[in-house]
Amino acid sequence: MKGIMTPRHVALWIAFAAIMLLLPQVVSNGTLRIIIFANFLAIFAMSWDFLSGKTGYVSFGHPFLIGIGAYTTAILSYRFHMPIEYSIPIAVLTTIAGGTFFFLPALRIKGTYFALVTLAFMELIYQLTQVIRPDLTGGTRGISGVKTLLVGAVPNYYFSFLLMLGIALVLWVLARTRLGTALDAIAMNEEAVSGSGLSTTKLKLFAFMVSAAVAGIGGAFYVHYLGSIAPRALFDIDFVFTIIVSALIGGASTIVGPMLGAFFMTFLLEYLRPLLPGSERYLIYGLVALVLYVYQPKGIYAIIADLRDGMRSKNANNSKNSGKVGDGKAA
Amino acid sequence: MQSMKKLVAVAALALSAGLVSAGWSHAADTIKVGFIGSFASDAGRSTMRGAQIAIDELNAAGGVLGGKQIEMVKADTHEDVTEGIKAYEYLAETEGVDFIISGCIDDVSLGWLPRMTEYKIPTLDTWTSNIGIIDKLVEDYDTYKMYFMNVATDEALATLYVDFGKDILAKKMGWKKTIILQEDTAFGNAINGLVTQLLAPEAGIEVLDTIVYDTATVDFSPIFSRAVDSGADFIYLIASVNSQVVSSQYVKLQVPLAMTGVNVSALGQEYWDDTGGAGGGISTLSPVPSVGFVADPESQKFVDKYIAEYGNERPKYPHFNGFNAYWGIKQAFAAAEEAGGFGLDKWVPAMENQDLKLMKDGKLWLRYAFWKPGEVEERTQRTYPHNIRFDITPPYDDGAPSMVVIQWYENGDAKVVYPPKYATGEFEVPSWVKK
Amino acid sequence: MTQILIQGFLLSGLYALIAVGFTLIFSVGRVLNLAYGAYIMMGGYAYFYAVHIWHLPKTLGFLSAVVVGAIAGILMYRLLVKRLEGDQVAVEISTLILAVIIQAGIVLLFNDSSKILLPIVNGVWHVGSTTITKNMVMAMIASWIILGGLLAFVKFTHLGRAIQAVSMDPKGALISGIRTDRINLTTWAISGALGAVAGVFFATHTQLNPSMWVSPLIIAVAVVIVGGIGSIIGSLIVAHIIGFMEIITSTLIGAELRGIFTMLLIIIVLVVRPQGLFGRGDL
Repeated sequence: MKGIMTPRHVALWIAFAAIMLLLPQVVSNGTLRIIIFANFLAIFAMSWDFLSGKTGYVSFGHPFLIGIGAYTTAILSYRFHMPIEYSIPIAVLTTIAGGTFFFLPALRIKGTYFALVTLAFMELIYQLTQVIRPDLTGGTRGISGVKTLLVGAVPNYYFSFLLMLGIALVLWVLARTRLGTALDAIAMNEEAVSGSGLSTTKLKLFAFMVSAAVAGIGGAFYVHYLGSIAPRALFDIDFVFTIIVSALIGGASTIVGPMLGAFFMTFLLEYLRPLLPGSERYLIYGLVALVLYVYQPKGIYAIIADLRDGMRSKNANNSKNSGKVGDGKAA
Repeated sequence: MQSMKKLVAVAALALSAGLVSAGWSHAADTIKVGFIGSFASDAGRSTMRGAQIAIDELNAAGGVLGGKQIEMVKADTHEDVTEGIKAYEYLAETEGVDFIISGCIDDVSLGWLPRMTEYKIPTLDTWTSNIGIIDKLVEDYDTYKMYFMNVATDEALATLYVDFGKDILAKKMGWKKTIILQEDTAFGNAINGLVTQLLAPEAGIEVLDTIVYDTATVDFSPIFSRAVDSGADFIYLIASVNSQVVSSQYVKLQVPLAMTGVNVSALGQEYWDDTGGAGGGISTLSPVPSVGFVADPESQKFVDKYIAEYGNERPKYPHFNGFNAYWGIKQAFAAAEEAGGFGLDKWVPAMENQDLKLMKDGKLWLRYAFWKPGEVEERTQRTYPHNIRFDITPPYDDGAPSMVVIQWYENGDAKVVYPPKYATGEFEVPSWVKK
Repeated sequence: MTQILIQGFLLSGLYALIAVGFTLIFSVGRVLNLAYGAYIMMGGYAYFYAVHIWHLPKTLGFLSAVVVGAIAGILMYRLLVKRLEGDQVAVEISTLILAVIIQAGIVLLFNDSSKILLPIVNGVWHVGSTTITKNMVMAMIASWIILGGLLAFVKFTHLGRAIQAVSMDPKGALISGIRTDRINLTTWAISGALGAVAGVFFATHTQLNPSMWVSPLIIAVAVVIVGGIGSIIGSLIVAHIIGFMEIITSTLIGAELRGIFTMLLIIIVLVVRPQGLFGRGDL
């Protein structure tokens, strides 16, 4: 069995990090601001991917987890003036607890039913933030003026990129361990996995906890970047849409794919702004996503991999297929 | 392995993005004004067009700040909070605007507010009436001082509304008991809180009960049944989100109880067409200048221009924030002329001192000026730094009233019914309600 | 009490009408069509365009809604669902994307302000202290007729039995010579038309708005999930459970909790009895 990380991987990750870290020297602050959003979206999409892309338990309610993280730290720091070095860890722990809420139905149901129950969770918390203790949550108007960690495009860019890179590396390595491979197997055939003596319950719980932790970290730092939080910005079908589509357009179950998808989706929308400033751009944005998805449900990752394989087989024909890319998993 | 190619591709994509946007540098001889708001809503469009007309006039008159032309750049919020933050960043970082005019709704404005304090760009809100933002100026003036709001806040709206309750609902109609029908939003809670506190002691109207409803409610018939059974003399409605549903079902069900209050959907001239002519009998509080509001000669010139320019596309008549945007842009640039630009140290005091009195028939009709920090409003005994200078005590000679009450009649007319100084019609209950 | 009964039956009738087209697709195609709410929205807007803008008679408005819905159903099946054959999750996600696209399209065409449709039938009746609109009564009657008709169609016609066969066992149906593709296409067209009809009633009762697709979709999902796959009668019963629950909540408990109870019901039923209260339990 090959190592988890070959020297070539190390070199490529370093090259990627180096390019991204040099970026502020070259590009405008406006572009950096866009990349910051892309970085956060990438974190959310990777969190979704680790749960749904890998295990096949499709979550339509991921903002539920992100929102728990974001609201916990926002309320603790804004209403109770707790320092954020405490409020953020508490928020992450709370989100992990929230992840078990997701996990309980997953013990019994899967597929479409699981997707719907998670969607119902999200709708439920959307309504609850308005009904229960609006003095804490700010009700529909939310909370504005939450403490921001850093000021300015460049520091926030470095911070969000390093956060995203760290999470990406951890998830990517995790996905390549035997544990990660076993999760893929759950998506393929859960019965076979349990038949082979592995505890699928423990495996699933692990995936849910990791995904929730990442969602919590992402959500908590996101709110301290934005400086404001509102239920309509989080618990919204549009937000679900963006996260899932980013992950799928990029390539589910690959960790790197969702990162790619998040950048693609963010820049697609932002590049349309000068051309089509009005509502047309959401139409184009949706259409591009739909066409790409229907054309290749395995995502850009698979498209690029196919192109590369095509080129390789022309050249030397050393096609040692890793088997991870085209493993027939659409979501 | 293969993953890396894509990583490089992402980096390349990002890189090229930066190069493109870095290429846009703005010419030194133009001043950029940013518009932030929804391109598809009547409210957003009113602000956008009001601002555009003001800018065209300033440009035609030879430009500003020593002959510079003004250019307006627009960023769509899609009425989405996160898109609003992105839009603000785009205006600030990519376009490098000098001033921002906003037609945003409550949570969108609150969303980008932290960005405003970071970029320190002078910003004028023309639609949201959220007192929470003014409270931020009360608490921390220095951080938020670049913010101005030229629509009266919730609190001022609700306070003056109590006078309507006293003069018309209690005295003229003889009503003594009400039931409040409030949507489950922060706006609904805020208005309800103010009205319930004041209505009984000041107007002698007892609040029997409050029904809070979910904004996605499909069927209001059980809610109206509850209201009718409560024994109240009228329903006090507070609705801003999907408020067409509650008001149209009120009309369709011919609820035998009068209803007035706040109904945001009835604020625009389009209300009649949008309800297919079935919106009669509804009355609502509205910020000034509302539909049915007789404009002063100066504002009328703006209305005429607006109709000539945009009369074929909705909204065919500017909403209140269209007027606010038009006069707001004029004032922002007048302040900039005095201050020699938009530098906060000089521009903010200059903007605070702007004072535009619009007269009609020798009387003060509208006034665009701002409350100064520390200045106490007599009736509510609190400060409203950088909120429009409203007047909530008759005869309204210090400023325009914070609100008027408008009545939609069953023949499609809309008229102002309160306060008497601005009234052109009478408050009426729908024909199916027994008097 | 009479008030709760009357209002409960009326609202439940509307909910049953909203859910029926969704049930059909879920039973036959085994997929959740998350763009179902878009049929409802397109039906409402088609009616608005025909009756309010072109001033056509209401029957023609109705007809145009049916046609638009059926065409939307056919296109959705041909262009999306067929391509993603067999992959439930892919269909769900692509229909969700489609719904968001249609919403953006509606904003472009009609602007994002809310519009009110004139009722199909004007006027009210007074029953005791309760007022009811003739429009809602009409919606309830329509829902009973449509549900009855659909039940009869599935049970007694050749095509209907074929639909049922495909719903129970697609592979078996194929082997026994049923052209499943045509059956699927027909089902999608019927579902689209039913959605559009429900849309006209829903919109005349509430409003037209580019984001109006979400709440009827949630109602339809709730009805189908709680009712269970493949059960038209089950859907009818659950539409009444949800409708009455809402009326009772609004009248006796607190109107703001309306949506919360529906969500809790979905979650509890999904976790405790995933096959639904009346379902066959397979998926």
